[in-house]
Amino acid sequence: MAPSGLKAVVGEKILNGVIKSVKKDGEWKVLIVDHMSMRILSSCCKMSDILAEGVTIVEDINKRREPISSLEAIYLISPVEKSVRALINDFKDAAFTYKAAHIFFTDTCPDGLFAEIGRSRVSKVVKTLKEINVAFLPYEAQVFSLDDPNSLYSFYSSKPNKDKDKIMENLAEQIATLCDTLKEYPAIRYRKGPEDNARLADEVYQRLTAHKADNPSMGEGADKARSQLLIVDRGFDPISPILHELTFQAMAYDLLDIKQDIYSYQTTGIGNSNDREVLLDEDDELWVQLRHMHIADVTKKVTELLRTFCESKRMCTDNANLKDLSQMLKKMPQYQKELSMYSTHLHLAEACMKKFKGSVDKLCEVEQDLAMGANAEGEPLKDAMKSIVPVLLNNEIGAYEKIRIILLYIFHKKKGIGEENLAKLIQHANIQADSNIITNLQNLGCNIIAGGRNAEQTLPERRERTESTYQLSRWAPIIKDVMENAIEDKLDRKQWPFISDPAPINTTQTAVSSARFGHWHKNKSPTEYRSGPRLIIFVIGGVSQSEMRSAYEVTRATDGKWEVLIGSSHILTPTSFLNDLKSLDQVPNPDS
Amino acid sequence: MKRRQRLISVEIRTQQFIQRSLLSHLYQCVLKEERQPDRGNLLDIGNLDLFSRPTMRDRLSNLQEVSNSHVEQMEYAESTVSDTFSNIDLEMELPHEAVVFEDNSPALEDVFSQSQDIHREIQLIRVEIKRLREQNSRMMGVTTMSTIKRDSNAIGADIKARAEGVLARLRDMDGEAHKLEEEYGSNCAVTRIARTQYACLSNGFRDTMFDYNEAEMSHRENCKAQIQRQMEIVGREVTGEEVEEMIEKGQWNIFNDNIMAEGKTARSALSQIEKRHQELVDLETRINGIHEIFLDIALLVEEQGPMLNTIQTNVQKTDEGIQEALVKLNRAKRHDKNNPFKKMFCSCFPCVD
Repeated sequence: MAPSGLKAVVGEKILNGVIKSVKKDGEWKVLIVDHMSMRILSSCCKMSDILAEGVTIVEDINKRREPISSLEAIYLISPVEKSVRALINDFKDAAFTYKAAHIFFTDTCPDGLFAEIGRSRVSKVVKTLKEINVAFLPYEAQVFSLDDPNSLYSFYSSKPNKDKDKIMENLAEQIATLCDTLKEYPAIRYRKGPEDNARLADEVYQRLTAHKADNPSMGEGADKARSQLLIVDRGFDPISPILHELTFQAMAYDLLDIKQDIYSYQTTGIGNSNDREVLLDEDDELWVQLRHMHIADVTKKVTELLRTFCESKRMCTDNANLKDLSQMLKKMPQYQKELSMYSTHLHLAEACMKKFKGSVDKLCEVEQDLAMGANAEGEPLKDAMKSIVPVLLNNEIGAYEKIRIILLYIFHKKKGIGEENLAKLIQHANIQADSNIITNLQNLGCNIIAGGRNAEQTLPERRERTESTYQLSRWAPIIKDVMENAIEDKLDRKQWPFISDPAPINTTQTAVSSARFGHWHKNKSPTEYRSGPRLIIFVIGGVSQSEMRSAYEVTRATDGKWEVLIGSSHILTPTSFLNDLKSLDQVPNPDS
Repeated sequence: MKRRQRLISVEIRTQQFIQRSLLSHLYQCVLKEERQPDRGNLLDIGNLDLFSRPTMRDRLSNLQEVSNSHVEQMEYAESTVSDTFSNIDLEMELPHEAVVFEDNSPALEDVFSQSQDIHREIQLIRVEIKRLREQNSRMMGVTTMSTIKRDSNAIGADIKARAEGVLARLRDMDGEAHKLEEEYGSNCAVTRIARTQYACLSNGFRDTMFDYNEAEMSHRENCKAQIQRQMEIVGREVTGEEVEEMIEKGQWNIFNDNIMAEGKTARSALSQIEKRHQELVDLETRINGIHEIFLDIALLVEEQGPMLNTIQTNVQKTDEGIQEALVKLNRAKRHDKNNPFKKMFCSCFPCVD
């Protein structure tokens, strides 16, 4: 099934706009990428797609490459100094590395670098030079990432960071290219509180207006005037990234070691056992179906699907005679792929449950009570300390788990806790080495020490939720409330101010007739042209898996009228979040 | 027993090609032939609209302005400057002169022409499969089947022959890729190009064969359903399982029960059923043919895994070790120059260095 949403839009833009546009029959080309563009490319295109369009090899610009002077090169790079230098180097000597160059920058090239390119010998062999305005990673159909895992440090470190302005400009530019790619010109709002929100919102607005000047069709459409871009900081909801979630994707990334979306496990096939690596992304239809489901449902569903599959194809090997075997063989090749998908997900679910039954199930109960402030029956929590002390004293539970419990306890006590209490808790839990994680959270604007910094910060009021949930999954991320309010236009203007005067939100019809019939002559591909309004949310400092899930849930609840996109500089797992927090007060590593 | 063993081992081998199949790629290639002529008329307006909208900024003209304004001064200066810079370059950057890259363009040409041929063959097979599909669907409706059936068989045989040809070529290509790997090293561009081409072509070929299998299988199902319907007309109800059994065992004596039955309609229905049966038997032999090919594909396609298709892993697989070596070499060179003994000699006998 072809991916839809962001991946499809970006994939189509790159395949059509970059690779197909310079395709010539009978001629192959070399595609050269740098780190950022490689990530963008590999998240939405496959080798066979680009091979079909005449690219025969993909190279990294920063590695030594041997000259292939018979082929032309497509450079898909970000306009940073390192990449541009490497580009110029390719054509510096007498023998050019490639026959010609087609250069595509992911966003605007600064004038200095542009002049350098103009001065160098590259300019003689340049046949194309375009800025494609795609500087973000389409992580999922409704999730984008800006691929900057250090952003938590850049924004919230204790030491003043002089590069912060530059980083903010880059971020703003990347967000602007997102809006450009989606052809949206949203109204920008930010959460009133930390001044970074307002500054970033301002920068984005400037760049967005610049893009609109080049591209006046942005934001055109009957409903597009209602689109909004919300800028939120991580400190707004510090609970969601540290809570143990029990939906498939969040649980897998939290409990298992999944790097770069690749899940490796061992299969015990017929006879041999081998290591298998599977990429968990949207090409795997089963993953798309299962990723937001609760783990209990997942195991049930996969076994049910597998059973119907086997029955319908009569694959039970128990009483198979020759005829059945030959039948199976005839249909085997297609079934191989489906069977392997089922097997992967069963393994994944099993591994999650194993880890869960180990120690996490006890933690989940305590965590949910603390996060909701009430136990499963709805009674408010009377003595939180009593429930967390046995966890803290338990030596089998890891340090990070204990820290998560302590943090949830602190957030439960809305005004923070006293310093001595905190010291006592840390001592009980025996986590002195990691205790700075807790104090560093204050950099995000959270209220940790009673009467200390951020004394006025409180977590916002929550909406009433009436849908039935599992006992251990009662928590809904705060951002979900914000999304629903924004869609219903109930978001408080004082807490969420607009950068510019918002377009009047009216429901009168415009002169053009209905969206269905009025645009028949425009050949719009279904992936690109969405006629409904979009709500784009950018979280400074990282977005958690549960928040990503909320975006899909809210979109579904509106029956497709609104599309909610959420993203950040990187995707958080609880472990990575705590690791980042730990390093907030340290001097940056000079190599990174 | 042996046959069962063989089937099981085939099972193992077929288990080995676990790769992501790319239906979209298949459709792209299949439909690309037809899509291109269509682009001319209706959709042109829309497409132009899409691309002329400046979603991308074209700055080629800017570049040419900038470069033209520098061209006169630079051209002379550059030639003199580059000579003097070459020494310093050795210290700071790592130029291409330090390592000699062999000229491998003839090998490259070979790879490309090979892959072009195989690609064309695969396209032709796809066209044949389409024709087969049309034939099959026509056969379902029409009663005079003999000519159409002959064509189907002919197409099937043609596909099989072509597929075997492609398989042989793919194997050759694999051999060539291995030879290139030995000659130029596994991270050389030519080797990587050859390997990528081979992987993608074998993927495409495998998808094509799946498609063929699918076509034949669905036709088989349709025939079975038709037999069932016909038998109901004749008056006897049979379940799908029984039809399968009848096909397997080749027993068609059930039909003979009704040979004494009433009227022409029964007899004509009967003859149709028998034709279908014959048709199915032919189908079975064709399918057996495919399976020999599938066996070969299974051997051909090694355990590459779906990761091969991911660009990120592809790019990251290349290594760069030489930079380190060169830095160390330079350092060694410098240390060597600083060698006091050498310095003494150098001061006595000024040497060209």
